[in-house]
Order: sequence, then structure tokens, then C-alpha cells
Amino acid sequence: MANASIATGAPTRPRYGSMSRDRRWALRWSYFFLVLFAIFFLMPPIYMLITSLKTSAEISAATNPWWISNPTLQNYIDLLTQNQFLVFFRNSAIVSICVVVLTMSISVIAAFALARMKFWGSATLATGVFLTYLIPETLLFIPLFKMFAWVNEMFGIQLMNHWWTMIILYPTLTVPFATWIMIGYFASIPKELDEAALIDGATWMQTLTKIFIPVALPGIIAATIFTFTVAWAQFLYPLAFTTSTSELVLPVGIVTTLIKGDVFNWGQIMTGALLGAAPPLIIYAFLMDYYIAGLTAGATKG
Amino acid sequence: MVSTKVSRRRFVAGTAVASTAVVAAPFVRSAYAAGKLSVGFWDHWVPGANKATQELVKEWADKEKVEVTIDYITSQGNKLLLTTAAESQAKSGHDILAFSTWLPSRYADQLVPMNDVVEPLIKANGAVNGTVEYLGKVDGKWLAVPATVGSQIKGPCSRIDLLKKHAGIDIQAMYPAGAAPQADAWNLDNFLKAAEACQKGGNPFGIGLGTTSDNVDAAGAFFHAFGAMLVDAKGNITVKSDPVRQALDYYKRLMAFLPPDAPSWDDASNNKFLVSGQGSLIMNPPSAWAVAKRDAPQVAEQLWTHGFPAGPKGRFGPFLPFFWGVWNFSKNQAAAKSLITFLSQAASAEKMVIASGGYDLPSFANLTTFKVWAEEAPPKGTLYHYPNPHNHQTLSIAAAPAPHKIAEQIYTQAIQTQMVVRYAKGEAMDKTLDWAAKELEGFTRN
Amino acid sequence: MADIAARNPAVIAGGQRSGLHKLMQRKSTIAFLMALPLILLIAILVAYPAGYAVYLATLNKGMTRFVGFGNFEFLFGRDTFWLVVYQSCLFAITAVIFKAIIGFVVAHFVHNIPSKGQRKWRGMLLVPWVIPPAMSTLAWLWLFDPSYSALNWILAHFGIGNIPWTGEAGWARFSVILVNVWIGSPFFMIMYLAALKSVPEQLYEAASIDGATWWQRIWYVTLPMMRNIIAITALFSLIVTFANFDIVRVLTAGGPLNSTHIFGTWAFRVGIEGGDIPLGAAVSLFMVPILAVAATFILRDITKRGSEV
Repeated sequence: MANASIATGAPTRPRYGSMSRDRRWALRWSYFFLVLFAIFFLMPPIYMLITSLKTSAEISAATNPWWISNPTLQNYIDLLTQNQFLVFFRNSAIVSICVVVLTMSISVIAAFALARMKFWGSATLATGVFLTYLIPETLLFIPLFKMFAWVNEMFGIQLMNHWWTMIILYPTLTVPFATWIMIGYFASIPKELDEAALIDGATWMQTLTKIFIPVALPGIIAATIFTFTVAWAQFLYPLAFTTSTSELVLPVGIVTTLIKGDVFNWGQIMTGALLGAAPPLIIYAFLMDYYIAGLTAGATKG
Repeated sequence: MVSTKVSRRRFVAGTAVASTAVVAAPFVRSAYAAGKLSVGFWDHWVPGANKATQELVKEWADKEKVEVTIDYITSQGNKLLLTTAAESQAKSGHDILAFSTWLPSRYADQLVPMNDVVEPLIKANGAVNGTVEYLGKVDGKWLAVPATVGSQIKGPCSRIDLLKKHAGIDIQAMYPAGAAPQADAWNLDNFLKAAEACQKGGNPFGIGLGTTSDNVDAAGAFFHAFGAMLVDAKGNITVKSDPVRQALDYYKRLMAFLPPDAPSWDDASNNKFLVSGQGSLIMNPPSAWAVAKRDAPQVAEQLWTHGFPAGPKGRFGPFLPFFWGVWNFSKNQAAAKSLITFLSQAASAEKMVIASGGYDLPSFANLTTFKVWAEEAPPKGTLYHYPNPHNHQTLSIAAAPAPHKIAEQIYTQAIQTQMVVRYAKGEAMDKTLDWAAKELEGFTRN
Repeated sequence: MADIAARNPAVIAGGQRSGLHKLMQRKSTIAFLMALPLILLIAILVAYPAGYAVYLATLNKGMTRFVGFGNFEFLFGRDTFWLVVYQSCLFAITAVIFKAIIGFVVAHFVHNIPSKGQRKWRGMLLVPWVIPPAMSTLAWLWLFDPSYSALNWILAHFGIGNIPWTGEAGWARFSVILVNVWIGSPFFMIMYLAALKSVPEQLYEAASIDGATWWQRIWYVTLPMMRNIIAITALFSLIVTFANFDIVRVLTAGGPLNSTHIFGTWAFRVGIEGGDIPLGAAVSLFMVPILAVAATFILRDITKRGSEV
């Protein structure tokens, strides 16, 4: 059996040795289809990259779209030396980081309370948190205009057209999911652990910071990455609430300043889109396993 | 809560009155108490055209010692429309905002009347055309000031060589540079023949049938040429009439010669179609030509902007004006009016026209003969007929003369192009008209 | 434990009743305070505006008059509305089915190959999910472009003529679903992969000893084991797909002939572009009952999960 698998060179699992021919074919087919799917999945980003390296003249000449005859970094240089693009980038970065901090503080603490310290209405609240996931933001942004008008009238605080308003708004999209992940993680921590700490005289806060957070760290990292990705990608709220180029975040900035109606500037648009996609991609490249852990949190339990 | 709101409103109203009172006094620097003004201009499609407004505003701001911030807001993806809606709902935003075609009438209740700005301008620069008046003036009140920036005629822009080669038409002879048009033969029948010839020759006309403004404007002009009205000025639904049927029949025949994906075109599609060298004619202001000049000079050299073909009820060209308006919640209305007045002077207008390569079009009669249109090249004189200097065509807007609230819906929901596509794709005429009548009925509610 | 009890005899022996009572009381107060930011956030920025939207939906176009169900009655009489209902369901259900199938198939293939290489493939295949959708949709828009379509350029080499990706109602529907599937199926892939890994190897062994074909192994072993996770993922995805906005907005803006409008984009067209905000709110509200049905199914799972905990 072992001989067979060595002879064919196929890395089969020894248990299936008797079916190694079958498995070899299964393996070939698997690779074949994986390559097909990878082409399908990676085609748009690759095409972004190709287009971003072309000049406008080459794009409008409508030659082979998949080949670059005169590669140029001009689009990148133009964008990265442009003040406004850097402003978008800065806004996006600050907003995303603040949202991550805010989201994690709210959801870790609340998840702890909901998972461990049952109180009156806590079950309803846990359900309610989940239900907010069902309310689409297309429904919410018009009432929010009205509320902003009221805030402005009552307190003189202007919420329209400021990037920091996003720091207040995005958590509505990230907190429910992050809380959800964290409840799952906390619930899997054995009860004896915190009971022991409490009896030992630790306060609830100490139990959380000394025991739960360290134990649930992988979950926290996963939720953090997830929150960051959502905050970075959000489109509708900044589209609706910000206008000035100094207040835009990256996805909206790219869509509203690089696309100029009649004049499609595709080299730059694709460059911008690629640069906009870069931070989540980079984080993902380094922390892929945490990211996947975040996505699949609770999956194996269900 | 209610009472504070009221008192707050009264307070705002009070300050508004106070500031308009002050503007009557000469040299009102102190009136711009806040010393700050925020402006939302339309983000120009012609590369570099924003510079003109930037410089002009700076000139004014330096003179008046007002700190002005400018935002250039794109209309792509209806961002400008969204911004306008957001500011109207949130009751805060730019002091001066660019209002596209239908928006002055939509936000009539929230805009400061501009009669004291527009009337002197008309005296100085000549009358405005009927379309501008229809869109900007309601019940004797000017809701906003016709802006130079972004106002445009969407006449045909053709390939000289391709029209000659495929259809035997010498468009330069019909619309000679520097002289009145000799275009009596340029009518709908010949237009259709030319469309067929160009399509057979592999370079179809690029007239979109999507739901964005370029498409709607073109359809609007063709409908006007037949005298086809969906809703009349009194608000009666007149879609089931012979002119509408004629217009649909004509468009159905025309559509057979258009690119098959025309129903999904947006404002950029026709430009790309022309610049890529595939198309022989599009309905667009000179932005396509400007881009071609940069990216595809060999195409640009063959472009010629001219007038619409004439139909049984006349020759109509789509005119799409932009307006500058001031919200009634603006804190600095006097300064806003002063800036708009400055931007509307002949010298300012000419600067904008030049910066936009001839794209921008002042609405006032005396301002349509700037030298730039005659001189822009290549080829020389390509834009001469763009501003309609010989009043060769009636400037119109799709869905006029219906009441604004209805017309706006017809325009934004692109009822005309939708009717065309439905009918041309094989739906029975009556069914298409029924569908349209039902949609129109929906628009009449309030 | 013994150590703690020894050091802290009072806790055990002394105020057993009153101390515990106090502790409980304190505990619930603290817990409430800890959850308070969450409650406030949801109450102010989600629940209140949602309620406000319901109120808006009962006003007339000028927002000056209460019309009750007038807006809804009006909607029911419109062909376009029913077209949007149809398209939203078609869009969401088809997209979710294809996401689930592709996710399942790809997860299977990844699971099939030696575990050494799995990480690499998994990483590559998850990329569409990581790119912000507004950005990747732009790439698709550019791939679909009528004049410069890079896809048509490839297809032309296979003798296939120009496909009007976003031009023809049928193709446009296909295109928006395609992009949605492209963005969403990696999520299914990764979830199913995690679930596949949790299926005990012995079950397959037993099945193959019984002479089961690969199809039978999938049908009788894999699918039943993954039933829960398939259901949860599909429902989650259904919610997100139903509420989608940016893909359709950027790709077709609802056209041609309103054929690709879904609730979110049509609400935007009616409410913002058409200036009838109450009607737009009424359209958006239609998503809620449909989502609520999905929610009850999910909630059943949640309570199940809750009781396990």
C-alpha cells in the first residue's frame, strides 16, 4: 500500500491507499477546478493592476486589454502626490482605527455582560443586537438627516459633512457582529474560571480584563480585523453624509472624485481602487488565519 | 421641543431679514459678519475647468475679505443630487450650491428668491431663453441664478470623415465655421438614412437609451421635434396622442441602427464610444472632444459639433442649464448673492468658458459669441455652432412644458427613453402608452 | 478552592443570604451599566431612526400630511414596484444559491488537496471577500464596459460576439448576480471548509468500506453533517444580499428599464433622485418583513445555540 503511494508520487492519505488511483484523479480534478476558480476570483483584481499600469492613451486606443505595452507608474505617482488622495487615506485610516477601538470597547464589555452576567432583559437584548443586523442602512440614512438637523438646531453641533461623524455611525454596523462573535467566544470559556476569580475577590471588571480578554484574545483579534474591514469598506453612509473633499473617506473619495461623468479616467480609477483595497488586503495577508477564525466563529458549533 | 424650534426659526428668519436689509446699503463688508462662505460647485468634467471658478472666487474673496471654501461635487452617480437632498433635509450645508436642471423648482420652498440678482443681469447681458426661465422662475420668482459653469447644449458631435465616407454628408458644409448654418436638408429623415449608412459601415451613431441625462436629453429633443408631449402645461396626461406615436415609431427605426447595448448607456458611454473611434455621432457637449484631444488626437481632428436635425414641429436642441442657488438657512445670504453676481458678469463668464474649452454656456443672449468658440481647434471652428449662435435651433428640455413636479419625475425616471426601449424591443404601442400613462398618473400625486 | 474557602470563611459561612442577594443586585446593575453603551448606540442610531422611517412612510410627498397606508396603496398599484419585488427576490435567492453551490464545490476541492497547500489556496480564493465591494465593483464595471470590455475581448477569441453585459435586461440581471456571487462565494467557501474539517474522518471511512460512491458520501455524510452551517450561512447571506446597495448602484444603477432595481436602489431612486422621501422610506420598509421571516429561522438556531451554552 505504502509502495503504491510512493510509486505514484501522489500525496495520498495512507488510509485510502487502496483507492489511490481514484484519489489521484480526484486530486487532478481538484487542482484543475481550483485553478479555474482562482482565475475567476482573481481576474478583477489582476485587471485592476493591469489597467492601473497603463496610460490613458493606451487605454483609449482599445488594444489588447490584458497586455501592457508601455507600463507606467504615472497613475500611482499622480495619485500619491495628490494632496486630496492622501487626505482620503488619512480620513479612512483615522475613522477605521477609531471605529475599531470604539467597537471593541463597546462590544467586548457588553458581550461579557451578556454572556456571563445575566440580568433582567439580557436575553432580549442579545436577540435585539442580532436583529439590528436586519435593518438595512438604506432605511436609516434619511431619518438620520432629520436627526442631524435637530442636533444642529438644539446643540449647534454640525454633524453633516464631517468625517468624524462616521466614527459615530459605523459602530451601528460593526458592533452587532463584533458583540455576536465575542458572546460566542466568551460562552466557550469554562464557568469555573470566572467563578474562581470572583470568589477570590476579583471585581467583574478584573475578571474581564485579567481572565476573559487574555483567554479570548484570538476572538478579539478576529473581531478587530473584521471590524476594520467593514469600517474601511463602508460606502453608503459616507456617500450620504460627506461632500467636501477634505471630509471624504477612500471608497467614496475614489468614486466621487476620480470618476468624472463624461471623462472616465480609468487608469487612475483602477489605481485608486487598488490602493483603496490595499490596507485590508495587507492586513489580511499577514493575519489571514485570525481573519478566517473571525469569519467562521461559531461555525463549527452551530 | 416644539416651542424652541419655533423660536429658533423666528430667530433665523429675523437674521435673514436683517442681512437682506443690510445688502441694500452700499459696500457691505461688515454685513458678511461671519466672514465665511462655503460654496458647492459642480465638479467639471473638462479637465482643468475648475480652475476658472477657483480663481474667480479667490479674486472676489480677496477683495471682500471673506473666507470662502469651495467644494467641487461630482454629478456622477448623482452625488450632487444626493448632497442637495441631504442639505435640504438636514437644513445645513453650503451657502451657495449648484442646482442642476430641476432642482430649483424642487426646493423652491427652501431657496432665497434671486430676483434682485437675476433682473440686473438680464438687463446687462441680455434675455435668457425660455428653457432657463421655465426651470428657474416659478410664480414670478427667480429661485436661482442661471450658472455658466456646467450649462450645456447637447447637440450632435460628429465624425467629419465617417459621415462623409458612410453617408455622403459633408457636415462642415452644412455647419460652416463662422457662418450661418446651411442645414435645411439636415432633417429627421436624412438623419435616419445617415444612421443606417453609418451602422452598415461599421461606425454606428452613439445615441444612448439609458436613464441618465445625456440619454434623456436626446430623447427629449427628438420628442419635441414631433411635438410629442407626455403631459401638457396644465398637467393633463397627453401621452396617448399621435405625435407621441410618431416619435416612438421614429425612434424604433432609429434604434435598429444604434449599438445593441444603448439601453444601458450612461453619460460616459457615448463619450467612450466616440473617443474609442467606434462611433460616428453622439449627442454631447464638447467634453468628448476635449478628452479625445488629450487621449486620441486623431479622433479629435475629425470632430465637428453642430445642430440637431429638424422634425415636423421644428428644430430642437437640448439645453441643460445649471443654477446657483442660496438656501434660506444660509447664514450669509448677502455675501452669497454678492459672489453670485460677481460670477455672473460677462468677464467672469468668458473666463469660465475659456477654461472649460468652450464647454460652459452662459444663459444670457449677449454672451454666446465669445471668441473661444470660433477659435477652438482642432479642427478650427469645431465648436463654432455649439452655443447656437444663429438661434438655429430652439433650446429645449425634455418633459417641458409639464408642471415642474411632474416634468422632473418624467426626466429623472427617464420615462421617454424607457418608452422607446419598450416599444423598440417589440412591445405593442398601446401597451407602452398604457405603461407610460400609468407611470405619469403616479407622478401627478402630491 | 479549599484554599480560597480557608482564607475567606466569611463568604462561605457568614452573610450567605444577604451578601449573595446584594451581590446579585450589584451584579445586575453592573451588567446593565456594562451593556449600556451598546443599548444607547442601538437605541439612538438604529431603533429610533428605524421608527422614524416608519413614520416618514406614512406622510405625503411634501411631508406635510399624514396619509396612513397611502404610500403603500400607491406602491401596490405600480408595475415597477412589483418588478422590483420580483427582481429583489430573484437577485437575492439566485445569488445565494449560486454562492452556496460554488462555495461548497470550492470548499470541497480545497479540502481534497493535501493540507500543506490548502492555506495558500484558501488565501487566494478569499481575496474577493476582502476587497471593499465598492472598489471591486468598479473593476467589474470596467470589465463590462460596452466600448472597452476586456471580457468581450477574450470571448471574441472564442468566436462569441459582443455581449451587452449591462445593456440587455437579461444580461444585466446576470451581471449583477455574477458580481454578487463573486464577492460572496468566498465567504461560503471558508465557512464550509471549516465545517468540512469538523466532519469526523471515520464517517467517510465507514462509508467507503460500505462501498459508497463519492456522490453518496456527499449526500449521506457531508451534507447532513453540514446542514446547520449551510442554513445559517445561507440565511445570513440572504439578509445581506437583500439589503444590497453598492453593487447594483455602481454597476447598473437599476437599468436598463428598471430591470435590475432592488429594494435598496429603487428606494434611493424614488426617495432621493425622485424627491419623494416618504415613498422611498415605504419601499425600504418592504425589506423588513421579508428579512423578518429569515430572522425567525435564524433566531431558532440562535436559541438552540444559546441553550447549548
